[in-house]
Amino acid sequence: MSVARRAFIQMSVGATVGILFTPTVWTALDDVSIWTQNWPWIPSLKYGEVKGVPTVSKMCESGCAVKVRTVAGEAFGTEGNMDNPLSGGGICPLCANGVQVMNSPTRIKAPMLNGKEISWDDANKLVSEKLAAAGSKVAVISGDQTGTVNEVFSGLLASQGSDAFYSMPSDMQAADKAWTGLMGGSGQIGYDMENADVVLLAGADALESWGPTVANMKAFANNENGKFIFAGPMQTRTASVTSKWVPVPAEGMAAFTLGITYYVLQAGKSVPAADFDQFKAMVISGYTPAKVEAATGVKADAMAEIAKQLLAADNPVVVPGGSVAANGAAFALNLLLGGAMKVLPEFGKAVETAMTRSEMLKQDILKGVSADVLMVYEANPFYALPEQVKGAFTVAFDSVETETTAAADLVLPTPHAYERADDLATPYGVASATYSLGVPVSKPTLNVMNAADFVLGLADLGFENFDEVLEAKVTAVGADMDELAEGAAYVLEESADVSGVTLAASVLGKAAVPVKGTGAVALAPYTLLNVGTANQATTPNAPCTISNNQLIGDNMVVMMASATAKKLGVGVGSKVKLSGGNGDCEALVQVFEGVLPGVVAAPLGMGHTVGDEFSKGKGDNVYKILTVSSEAAAGASTWAGSTVNVAKI
Amino acid sequence: MGQKVMEERKASKRCGGVLPFIIGFLATCVLGWAVLPGLFYVEVEQPFKFSHTIHVEGQGMDCESCHFFRDDGSYAGFPTNEGCAECHAVDPEEAMEAIAEAGIDANDYDAIMKAEIGAIEDNLASESDENKQAEREYIVKYLIQGKEVPWLNYQYQPDNVYFSHKAHEGLDIAELAEMKKELSSVVDSAVFEGEAPEQNCNLCHLKDIDKNDTPPAFQQNILSGYSKMTMKMWKCERCHALKGQPNACYTCHK
Repeated sequence: MSVARRAFIQMSVGATVGILFTPTVWTALDDVSIWTQNWPWIPSLKYGEVKGVPTVSKMCESGCAVKVRTVAGEAFGTEGNMDNPLSGGGICPLCANGVQVMNSPTRIKAPMLNGKEISWDDANKLVSEKLAAAGSKVAVISGDQTGTVNEVFSGLLASQGSDAFYSMPSDMQAADKAWTGLMGGSGQIGYDMENADVVLLAGADALESWGPTVANMKAFANNENGKFIFAGPMQTRTASVTSKWVPVPAEGMAAFTLGITYYVLQAGKSVPAADFDQFKAMVISGYTPAKVEAATGVKADAMAEIAKQLLAADNPVVVPGGSVAANGAAFALNLLLGGAMKVLPEFGKAVETAMTRSEMLKQDILKGVSADVLMVYEANPFYALPEQVKGAFTVAFDSVETETTAAADLVLPTPHAYERADDLATPYGVASATYSLGVPVSKPTLNVMNAADFVLGLADLGFENFDEVLEAKVTAVGADMDELAEGAAYVLEESADVSGVTLAASVLGKAAVPVKGTGAVALAPYTLLNVGTANQATTPNAPCTISNNQLIGDNMVVMMASATAKKLGVGVGSKVKLSGGNGDCEALVQVFEGVLPGVVAAPLGMGHTVGDEFSKGKGDNVYKILTVSSEAAAGASTWAGSTVNVAKI
Repeated sequence: MGQKVMEERKASKRCGGVLPFIIGFLATCVLGWAVLPGLFYVEVEQPFKFSHTIHVEGQGMDCESCHFFRDDGSYAGFPTNEGCAECHAVDPEEAMEAIAEAGIDANDYDAIMKAEIGAIEDNLASESDENKQAEREYIVKYLIQGKEVPWLNYQYQPDNVYFSHKAHEGLDIAELAEMKKELSSVVDSAVFEGEAPEQNCNLCHLKDIDKNDTPPAFQQNILSGYSKMTMKMWKCERCHALKGQPNACYTCHK
């Protein structure tokens, strides 16, 4: 070994030892260890002021007053708005995921004509031409129950000489048809559940999907001494927390209510209605407890007990759900009881030529819609009512892809609720007329336009843009714009005039008779907001809250009592085909004794063929197997009384 | 043969033995202490020259004018455009319109600055050319573009560290000075020199930054990407221990 080589090795060893006596190696090791924290693909947090910006969300049917949580101006979550009585700090499962939906990959990014992107100018030109050619053969279907955007669409229809304004089927519509249609009332019915001492929820699953669910839950929580009773074909989540569940078939709800009315009339209650005597005679002769028991299966004793509690109460209220007849019967009973049913006035209009809310609810979409130009605003009729809706040229306004946008000729993307100004006037069911305003929280990132702004570009309604319409609406309401923008609701504690209201004796007598389909078992469709509604599919974080009683894997689950299962020859986990209406559904069976025997309970809102990974292909679409039947006497259509045949597969 | 081997061994001892070892040892010691540590860092300048002197001494602002606690107790840290625009009152829309009218690309910052657009120039608050240029740079590159300034945070901490300024607000330098010796590896001893200053910000942040005219370069570690001034976990723990505060993981890692 040469000297130089040996010296080199010795020096290297010395250098190696030497470097260990310096911080270099140790700090380098430390640096390498934390280098992994800053790889470029690791997402990093955004820092800045955390705010809660008040606005409104229209994802659920009644709409929610919310606060959108933002950091450095960027929305990241939604919570309830304590300052607004519609929320009281609460939020529904759909609106809770508003930001996730706003950022969904299924957002519509630009105007599309038969799958090809077009400019807004071309869209305006095209729709203008179609409207000119269509004349009065124009129809609008709106999925918004509470917004002034409906006035803008209605104004457009008026300028075309059309009154074909349709809303999606809803409890609000059934209530309006009963109250203003059959009984000659005005305004909108509300229920003061917070201050009532006995609340009979006659088919209204108020704590899960009926009406302003969040406000209902707050009222239920705040009403410490009130007694809640639920009547319906299934022990819903609402029924699970009320004092009592009375099993009543959906088609028998009107008769059941009149059966209770029988006892109330016997107790000497009356109202100064023109047809009171006729009404009393109709109930006393046609709806005796024995007859109602025979028609509905509800024991006379059960009705007598409920009537006794309602009569003993200081401030009782009956809250109906279902058919027009069921609503009418409940309103008549409430008038007799004189309790916590309210009649709310409608706020003034912003668009002079627009219909009133009640006029907008008159058209019956279940009877079918056919038009040369059909405009669909944030509704999904091609999912829920595919048989009923036909448009030679369909324009769909929506922010996300749906079955309706997929079927439409022209798709016009709207900003998400958090990207636009909007309003929320008196959702059906609240105890007082309320008005809330929504302000944009985030800047739109896609090529979108507020539908009302687009419509204002088609017809001269006296407004340049929707902001002007909202200003006019706030003025008509008599509210303060600044207070509304800060998230407070304008609440009007006034009642509409009820003089001249009748009890619709002649109609109710016939319409309340239970009418059932010819299938083997009755179908009890039910809605859970985390599963979805007719217009809104389930939202990104909600599926993990859907239980095995609604969905297992990709299979829908239907529930029935063990007696029903035995009769049908099926058991827990059996795969069945339900046939009814014009279609069929596949589902797995779950046995639940909280379903009335002879009834199968199925969740609405699943089985989407268009949408995101959370809703597409999950479960089956129960709307396909609903049967539309005519409430001939009431002049309306209903899904109540739907029946299905069940076959094991 | 045997004699030759013996001679080689002697030669080996003569030529080195410990000496090459010592040379190597000393050389890397010197390198490792004096040279190599500096090579781990590159200097990165702040997005533009921000003078604390001009704002504090010149305009009479205090620290809380920009670095304040919000109502919810969170700390505002760096000011946002919204705050800066309270004084730097250039209307972004008006400025962008003027830029478009002048036929300049809104992203060509140099061209905009050279063009001396009236909507910008008329609202500059600075007096000297150097400061005007810095202000112009801020307005053109960030304010009118609606972009927040990507300030380099000398005390940058990663997302997995939850640091509350509010919880450390009451640290008393005079009190900590009594632990000066124990804290010598955590806090620069210069902080405790002279009369205890009122601002306890100096404990972690650049000392007397409020008197600084040109912000020093940000020294970024070439391996980790962190600032040279980023406080390591052991330093946090040392101070917590000395102050009798908890050192459980969840204290800082929420």
